[in-house]
Amino acid sequence: MESIPLTWEEVARVYGRKIYNFAYRLTGNPDDAHDLVQEVLLRVRRGLADYRPGSFEGWLWRITRNAFLDDVRRKKRRPTSPLPDEVDRWDRATSESADSEYARISLGDDIQKALLELPVDFREAVVLCDVVGLSYQEIAHAVAVPIGTVRSRIHRGRSMLRELLT
Amino acid sequence: MTHPSELISAYLDGELTPAERTTLLHHLAACGRCTSDLEQIQRVRSAVRSLPLLELPEGIVPEADRVVVPLRHQKGLWAGVAAAVVVAVIAVAALITPEPGSVSIDDLNSRFGARASLDPAFGPAKVVPPFVGSE
Repeated sequence: MESIPLTWEEVARVYGRKIYNFAYRLTGNPDDAHDLVQEVLLRVRRGLADYRPGSFEGWLWRITRNAFLDDVRRKKRRPTSPLPDEVDRWDRATSESADSEYARISLGDDIQKALLELPVDFREAVVLCDVVGLSYQEIAHAVAVPIGTVRSRIHRGRSMLRELLT
Repeated sequence: MTHPSELISAYLDGELTPAERTTLLHHLAACGRCTSDLEQIQRVRSAVRSLPLLELPEGIVPEADRVVVPLRHQKGLWAGVAAAVVVAVIAVAALITPEPGSVSIDDLNSRFGARASLDPAFGPAKVVPPFVGSE
């Protein structure tokens, strides 16, 4: 019998933080990120029984991005306006910058806000590369596109970020 | 002049083939625009990479906190539970089963007769009529 490399609890322990950061940077919202992590872990739990040894991380990130895309599709069907506290957060981020720590967070907020402006494909590629730290090959496997497409998406995503941040 | 812009990010990520790298470096030596692009893209890349790595909020994986036995050991767990049940049943049976040879008809009558008087399941056997198909 083929052995399972990790239990789902181990996946949660080892990859939970990375999945949360991926989810947060893609959604820009802690509640959505929270829900996404739980959904991913649920899918991992269900899918581990059928997992066959191969690229575990590729499998895991494919599950993660599929869960994210499902969420995007669901939200497109039921559009919601940003909650007041989200709007306040952006207002605060742009109006208060005296404190250096706050300025650091604010800078992060600017980048986060710019990331959310990117088309999903570009955002996903940039986050998988620069936040999660996957190689182009790993991203190609996770996203199921040729490596040339990954290269193009990352560069176009970064070029758009440059325009948004200047 | 053709600008190999899309090679810039891959160059920064160490994802170019040696031939592509050589092509880009030769181009950069002669092209101020692409050199400037390289610097700007490098700043963007560093900015995204410098985003703080957030901690996983507590309780986000509540079940993982509760489950003590890893999933892959559960087969062993159930085998252990089954074995414990079998042992317990044998032990109880040994306690209530009299020594061989000491069971008399009277013992059986008193044991099951008493039960029969309390338990309707031990009541008189019902006579089940033979099945008669509907005509």
